[in-house]
Amino acid sequence: MSKPRDLVQGTLDLLILKILALEPLNGWDIGLRLTQVSDDVLQVSDGSLYPALHKLEQDGLIAGEWRASENNRRAKSYSLTRLGRKHLQKEAANWERISGAISRVLTLKEV
Amino acid sequence: MRWLYTLPMRMRSLFRRVQVEQDLHDEIQFHIDELASRYIARGLTPDDARRAALRDTHSIEALKDRCRDTRRIGWIEDAIRDVGYTVRTLRRNPTFAAVTILTLALGIGANTAIFTLVNAVRTDALPYEDPDQLVELWGNVLGTRVERRGAAYPDFLDWRARSRSFEEIAAFDPQMTTLMGIDWPERISAEFVSASYFSLLKINPTRGRTFLPEEDLVSNPAAVVVMSDILWRRRFGADPNIVGKTIGLRGGPFTAYIVVGVMPYGFRGLTDNAELWVPFALWGDPTVMASRTVRGFGALARLKRGMSMETAQREMDGISLQLQTENPSTNTARGVTVSPLDVELVGPLRPILRILMGAVGLVFLIACVNVTNLLIARTEARRTEIAIRTALGAGRARLLRQFLTESCVLTSMGGVLGLAVAGGLARTLMAWSPVTFPTFVAPDLDWRVATFTILASLISGILVGVGFGLQTAKHGGHDSLNQTVKGIRGPAAQRRRKALIVVEISLAVVLLSAAGLMVRSVRSLARLHPGFNPDHVLTLHVSRQTALPGNPTSVDGPPSRSVVEGRVLLEQIRGLPGVVAASISDDVPLDGRQARNFYAVDGPPVTDAQSRPSAYLHRVSPQFFNTLQIPIIRGRTFNDSEAASTSRAVVVSENLVRQFWPDVDPIGKRLKLGSLTSDTRWLSIVGVVGEVKYRRLRQNQDPYPDIYIPFLDRNAQVAIAVRTTLPPASLTGSIRGALRDADPSIAVYGVALMEELISVQMSGLRFVMWLISFFAGMALLLALIGIYGVISYMVHERTREIGIRMALGAKRSTIMASILRQSVILTGVGIGIGLIGASAVGRFFQQGLVLFGASSIDATTLSCVALLFAVAATLASGVAAGRVTTIDPTIALRCE
Repeated sequence: MSKPRDLVQGTLDLLILKILALEPLNGWDIGLRLTQVSDDVLQVSDGSLYPALHKLEQDGLIAGEWRASENNRRAKSYSLTRLGRKHLQKEAANWERISGAISRVLTLKEV
Repeated sequence: MRWLYTLPMRMRSLFRRVQVEQDLHDEIQFHIDELASRYIARGLTPDDARRAALRDTHSIEALKDRCRDTRRIGWIEDAIRDVGYTVRTLRRNPTFAAVTILTLALGIGANTAIFTLVNAVRTDALPYEDPDQLVELWGNVLGTRVERRGAAYPDFLDWRARSRSFEEIAAFDPQMTTLMGIDWPERISAEFVSASYFSLLKINPTRGRTFLPEEDLVSNPAAVVVMSDILWRRRFGADPNIVGKTIGLRGGPFTAYIVVGVMPYGFRGLTDNAELWVPFALWGDPTVMASRTVRGFGALARLKRGMSMETAQREMDGISLQLQTENPSTNTARGVTVSPLDVELVGPLRPILRILMGAVGLVFLIACVNVTNLLIARTEARRTEIAIRTALGAGRARLLRQFLTESCVLTSMGGVLGLAVAGGLARTLMAWSPVTFPTFVAPDLDWRVATFTILASLISGILVGVGFGLQTAKHGGHDSLNQTVKGIRGPAAQRRRKALIVVEISLAVVLLSAAGLMVRSVRSLARLHPGFNPDHVLTLHVSRQTALPGNPTSVDGPPSRSVVEGRVLLEQIRGLPGVVAASISDDVPLDGRQARNFYAVDGPPVTDAQSRPSAYLHRVSPQFFNTLQIPIIRGRTFNDSEAASTSRAVVVSENLVRQFWPDVDPIGKRLKLGSLTSDTRWLSIVGVVGEVKYRRLRQNQDPYPDIYIPFLDRNAQVAIAVRTTLPPASLTGSIRGALRDADPSIAVYGVALMEELISVQMSGLRFVMWLISFFAGMALLLALIGIYGVISYMVHERTREIGIRMALGAKRSTIMASILRQSVILTGVGIGIGLIGASAVGRFFQQGLVLFGASSIDATTLSCVALLFAVAATLASGVAAGRVTTIDPTIALRCE
């Protein structure tokens, strides 16, 4: 089992990848989307988000592209690469397996 | 596949830093702007919104840093920073940097130079395709360790027909021949070769073709030749229509030969010397070619793919046995040796080069250690810097990495410099070497050499860096200042350094003594009297038309009967201004020929019936002794009437007389050539001359004597010696002209000044002398640098103590004396050990016959070396200790 911190980090990466799988977004919008979709349960701080994005970019899982935003400002928009898509599938399946196992343990009836 | 994505990113992070930083800034800025917009939407003023946004965001710089950390090029950036730091440090200490880099350059350069030569004689350096498949076949005598005899032609044909191991076999034999029919005849080197020779070596002609198999048949040889590029350009003006033209060669059944092809530039045949190739079928007359007893050439062969040398040798042994059974009278105990071509061509060079590599490698190690010591000595001055860096959090590993970088930078700069020097060094070695390198050996700086240099630099960098780093970062854990430098100051480290200096000193002393011995040897050899006066003497060889009985007139040259006589040639030469004397003979001293004959003496019988006496026989004209100024000890030289075939006069050298007639007048005593029972005439002695160093300057203790008989002018080739008043080189042209006037068909070759021939004799010894002197010089330099380093370090280390002593009233001179005393002890011990080593080396030289005219333990040389070294070392220490005079006691006291 990996350390708790790794689990959190790894999970954030997974979430980012999934969100980007649906459509390319810039950093700000990713944070927003995450909060929206999870009904305010998951809130990610900028201190975690941007390093995570940069790391994913360095690892080749996502690719950054500079675009003009609505207000004509320069914004970096990320999208999923083919490598990232494969990684996402693998990690998502992994997550299903692990979380399923955790659920089963936690729902054991107390004797 | 991941690296396809990641590599461009890393490259970008490294090389487009400004852009990357700007992007990062923009991205964070965008985030803040969006957050601010949110606040504005909630009703805050723009300023408040901005402030709120900034408050909500993490410290921007910290955030940027965390993003930067993900870039994964940290170690590269660190390394670059280290290198920059090193360069700045070095620039602040230029002398130290210069000395270190030069030392390393010398070490690496010398190693690279030798390696270049080693590389140039490796197997695939041979200029032929697939050289590892090429072998030479030599006929030998089984059961003896005699030198090779070569093959007989019928044997060769049998080898070719019966063996299955080779793709092709070709015979080859070098010979001299005379080129005729052009401005003036010239002796050139040629090779007799089978038709398959060129295809075997896989070298194609640039013009025309090579021999066809049907041109190489003994029954019907063709008068064809293949020409070399050099000859084509030199004597035929690179004539584009040369193929098909005729040239004239002297000797052999034909006089006119058709040129069928020209070989590429740089190809000089296996013997590395050939300018012309002739079909092997012309090597001898038909009787010779059919005889199994005339042996004298080697064969070249190419192994079939996949065939091993051992299998081929076994097959040839089997064939030899077959031939023995079939021809018992001629082939008993005759076999064949199969030997790889590269061993034949460059084999002798390889062990020498290996020894050189070992020696030079040793010097290289010493250089590295020396540099380590230098770095350590300098560290004292950097204590403050190390302390600050440690305080700022540099761990032991980080410091180690810094030192490693420093040493790597130094060694790579040394390596680059060394590489630049290596090429020139290698070429100089080759030019001076008494052992001739084959022409294809080119000391090129190819990728192998470059790799070697890089490796050498790296290894030295690691050695130095690790050695240094280990010493300084010894007490890890809590790297306080005191702990860090304790490693340098510790008594164990001190002892190690001192021991190293002593070793360096001893080695330098040994090498210096060896060099001194060599210098004496060379000078003794130079002073050696050769038995004649070589000053202002010119020697040359001449090849003339001989009248073969029954042969019709040749195509060019005068009618056969009037072969120009030696007498006529001599008169022509004597008539030239500046010529004092001239003589003609069949050989001259130091021209490399030797012909020993048995002789028998009429007088006291030979005590030892086993060994018949033999001597070197020379046919000389009467003026021979006068021309060369060989002293006539008793009697006289020949007079003109004795220069006939019926003459019975003979002149002998001293040693012969000493052997048989030690107390009696030898004039009139008789001897004959051959044995007592041969039917040669008895000759009577008319004169005795001094011993001459005929073959080599350095001769065995008891050389064979020389016997001189009158010159009979029978051979086509003769040697002429000329003594001149003017510098002999200036007369070469007029002598050639005079000879040509006498007979245009003469070829003049082998022209040499006697003085040059003598100095060539010494070239081997001189080469060794220079090499050892070079190593000795390097060792001396290194040792002196080492002494300087150790002493100056000592001064630095004891600054505080010196300050105290001076404050208490000690004079600077007293303190300097005490420091110098330390250095004297070190040097003394080193010299002592070195002298012992030097005697051992001297004995080794003597056994290896390298010495000449000097004993192995030469007191003069040794004491000179000891003195030289003592003086040099004292100077070096003095300079280092001189720092004492610059120490200000007040500053020293505060120092720690």
